[in-house]
Amino acid sequence: MGARSGSVLVVGVGGQGVVLSSAVAADAARRCGFDVKQSEVHGMSQRGGVVTSHLRYGDAVRSPLIAAGEADAIVALEWSEALRALPALRPGGTLIVSVERILPPSAFLDRLHGAVRYPPIAVGLLRGTVPDVRACDATAVAARAGDRRAMNTVLLGVLSRVTPFSEPAWDDAIAANVPPKALAANRAAFAAGRDLQPDDARPALARVEPSDEGGPARRSAASLEIVDAWCKGETCAICVRSCPEYCLGFDPDAIAVRVTRADACTACGLCELLCPDFAIVVHPAVPA
Amino acid sequence: MTELLQGNRACVQAAIASGCRFFAGYPITPSSEIAESMARLLPEAGGVFMQMEDEMASLGAVLGASLAGSPAMTATSGPGFSLMQEHIGYAALAEIPCVVVDVMRGGPSTGLPTRPSQGDVMQARWGTHGDHPVVALAPASVSEIYELTSLAFALSERLRLPALVLYDEVVGHLREPVDPGSLRLSRAERRRPTVEPAAYRPYAPDADLVPPLADFGTGYRFHVTGLTHDEAGRPTEEPAVVGALHRRLQEKVARARDDVVSFAGIGLEDAEVVVVAYGIAARAAERAVTDARSRGERLGLFRPRTLWPFPDVELRAVAERAHTIVVAEMNLGQMLLEVERVVAGRARVEACLRADGTPLTPEDVAHAVASAAGALA
Amino acid sequence: MSGIEYRDRLRRQMLPHILCPGCGHGIVLKALLRAARSLELDWDRTVFVAGIGCSSRLVGYIDGCTLHTTHGRALTFATGMKLARPELTVIVITGDGDGLAIGGNHLIHAARRDVDLTCLLLNNETYGMTGGQAAPTAEPGAISTTTPRGARERSFDACALAVAAGASFVARGATSLPLELDALIARGIAHRGFSFLEIASDCPEYFGRYNELGRGPEMLQLQRRRLDGVDRTLAAKRSLRPRPAEGPPPLRTGVLHERPA
Ligand SMILES: Cc1ncc(C[n+]2csc(CCOP(=O)(O)OP(=O)(O)O)c2C)c(N)n1
Ligand code: SF4
Ligand code: SF4
Ligand code: SF4
Ligand SMILES: [Mg+2]
Repeated sequence: MGARSGSVLVVGVGGQGVVLSSAVAADAARRCGFDVKQSEVHGMSQRGGVVTSHLRYGDAVRSPLIAAGEADAIVALEWSEALRALPALRPGGTLIVSVERILPPSAFLDRLHGAVRYPPIAVGLLRGTVPDVRACDATAVAARAGDRRAMNTVLLGVLSRVTPFSEPAWDDAIAANVPPKALAANRAAFAAGRDLQPDDARPALARVEPSDEGGPARRSAASLEIVDAWCKGETCAICVRSCPEYCLGFDPDAIAVRVTRADACTACGLCELLCPDFAIVVHPAVPA
Repeated sequence: MTELLQGNRACVQAAIASGCRFFAGYPITPSSEIAESMARLLPEAGGVFMQMEDEMASLGAVLGASLAGSPAMTATSGPGFSLMQEHIGYAALAEIPCVVVDVMRGGPSTGLPTRPSQGDVMQARWGTHGDHPVVALAPASVSEIYELTSLAFALSERLRLPALVLYDEVVGHLREPVDPGSLRLSRAERRRPTVEPAAYRPYAPDADLVPPLADFGTGYRFHVTGLTHDEAGRPTEEPAVVGALHRRLQEKVARARDDVVSFAGIGLEDAEVVVVAYGIAARAAERAVTDARSRGERLGLFRPRTLWPFPDVELRAVAERAHTIVVAEMNLGQMLLEVERVVAGRARVEACLRADGTPLTPEDVAHAVASAAGALA
Repeated sequence: MSGIEYRDRLRRQMLPHILCPGCGHGIVLKALLRAARSLELDWDRTVFVAGIGCSSRLVGYIDGCTLHTTHGRALTFATGMKLARPELTVIVITGDGDGLAIGGNHLIHAARRDVDLTCLLLNNETYGMTGGQAAPTAEPGAISTTTPRGARERSFDACALAVAAGASFVARGATSLPLELDALIARGIAHRGFSFLEIASDCPEYFGRYNELGRGPEMLQLQRRRLDGVDRTLAAKRSLRPRPAEGPPPLRTGVLHERPA
């Protein structure tokens, strides 16, 4: 990029701050004298509702939407959304992605037949198709900068390396768009993102996970039947946090609950009663 | 046997004779007689009458009853018709048969509660958001209220859509001698699935593009939603599925067009000037036309009985022969727009409009025709 | 546990459902299915009707006759259906926005008519579906996208409203008391006449986030603190968030009003 015009696609899921990030970038562009068009598409409001924002800047921008293969950069706040957005990237474009894993409904639906179909976080593999991938764990970086919620601003810091907007313009844009009490953390997050060397972040964070197990949806452990395909994982955690015997935990890779202390389970049934997703069934052991 | 029948009462008798077994409504002039007669007559016919808390509730209850298997209707007037639009759209998309009678009064807003108008004809076409086909019938006499109400039931059940009947306060309150026994009753028949419940897909159409409809509570388990859905009734945003659904909704009516669209004509074979009028305005126009013809003037009348779909091909053929079309209606020029669109320059289109709460008169029409002819001369 | 046959009542091919992780509405759906099982309802004579909202989406997952109507108007469809076919069991699912704001008038009149319907109103104090705006049930002070400085209006007491309007069975349940919820729903369905159940449910995605109440587990725990009867199994062993200095008033669950219809 760096030319007098460009297109940036920002993607993520509801609640991550996609629209705010895009607004900040648009504001920075405006402050540098560009004509700007920014538009957004919301999915369902439920968590996982996908949000996409198109940002186009230049001397005069007519169409507000970025066509396939036209984006100079994609800023993805979530890994699977990055993959879904890839067709929008032009050859030679930049993919800025957080190795964040928030399960949008699409990912759940893909799991219908049991196998976890959430795409493996494999930055290295992506390199083959997209040479310029800048991946980091933006939430971790933001947390270090003072507020994990500023993860979107970390990615803006990364983006600032490939856009022609001046640093003061970015700073003013952040100040103008972010609530005052969160400003310091966002400034720090931006700076951290700007200084991130993609190569620092990638090896530590990128993981290649095997995911082609294709096995049955149900895994039984002790007397619990867990339907991986329906469990919504850590973001829910109702069963894990409600089990009186601390029997349950998460398999970090399977995005599903696992029995971690089978021998302690009393078959009280609470986890089943409280699971909003029909993902746990407690089968009381038949007395021998 | 001939009896002196009021328009609104004829509507009720036709509905019941056509199989209507559920009515829900909310009082509003000038349609209240329909609800009142239903309250008396429907229970005797084994049906259910409900007075609801408003018009949205009325049409909601009608749709619930219809899904449970009862042919059902409601009746209202302008303000209530406005409130019903959301459920008319719901019925169109979810494909639930029902009949909505709108006895038109002067509007907008509370307007002229007791005065006639034809101001709802475009609302009938475009009142709810989104695209959907509309079937709207416009009777001009008490006997026609009887026949077209009956036809509305038949069409709504056959095509799985809300069928609208629009007439104005004057026809609604008109008493004319009619012999219901001699009038045409249309058979309202709902096509129910022939497949096993497990194989039933509520929106998988038959060859006529209309899907059979199972009654709730008869062993068929299915989902009905106002979200755009696939053939199984599941919500979807898949562009191909959404597009196909909308095309089918339009097409199912287009294919049945010849059974839906009708009009009446006088002197169309030789008319140089043709008056287009519907409902009560057509009665005034008819008078003007027959008077003129008795004087040897080549005036004709084109009277759509279906406003929607509009008899466009038929009118276009008329416009090929006539040099002037005069649209006479009791609003500020609503169907006029449609006529201009249909005629598309084949003939001159003039307007004869009245929107002051009084019915159009034969003199209005004669005058408009004369000035149209004068302008031509 | 009392059997898992309730799972046969799900449209399994529709799962996982669209609700957010930790959304309380799913807990209500399970309780409803369990209650329906315990009553051995004739599934071919049972109809589920809903309005519009996250709560109303639940009917789409029930493998039965399900009707997803327009915003606020579910009770009107249900009334027509019940009167046209009295042998049907008609169960309505609505939300606090759906049933008390846009559909408030229909609720009042359904209660007044005392038609034999069962109405479950899932109260999460917000409009979840549209992104967390204020609902008429939001307690004063509640933050939402339309009350960024805190709600200032009084909130509805849906149960008191239903009693006043004439409902012959009124109860309040909560997702944090799932077994009691089963039993209440079953009693509501078994009651002849208009049964109204307000069910405290949680929207972690919006209400929880905007009011900093945590996600599903924390909100369930907070909910329990508000209830006068506490599910013993649940209560014992978890460490709870510190009690907020001043919280909303305690909620009474159970059957609040019952008379022969
Ligand atoms: C006539 C109309 N107005 C507004 C909307 C938008 N809308 C959809 S759901 C909803 C609120 C739902 O809130 P609630 O009933 O509390 O359900 P929840 O999502 O919280 O479970 C609104 C306002 C609509 N669908 N129709
Ligand atoms: S049955 Fe009870 S003890 Fe066993 S895992 Fe579930 S909540 Fe824990
Ligand atoms: S409660 Fe259900 S959905 Fe939530 S984490 Fe546990 S198993 Fe998964
Ligand atoms: S937005 Fe709120 S109410 Fe709706 S599904 Fe998500 S958590 Fe539940
Ligand atoms: Mg709500």
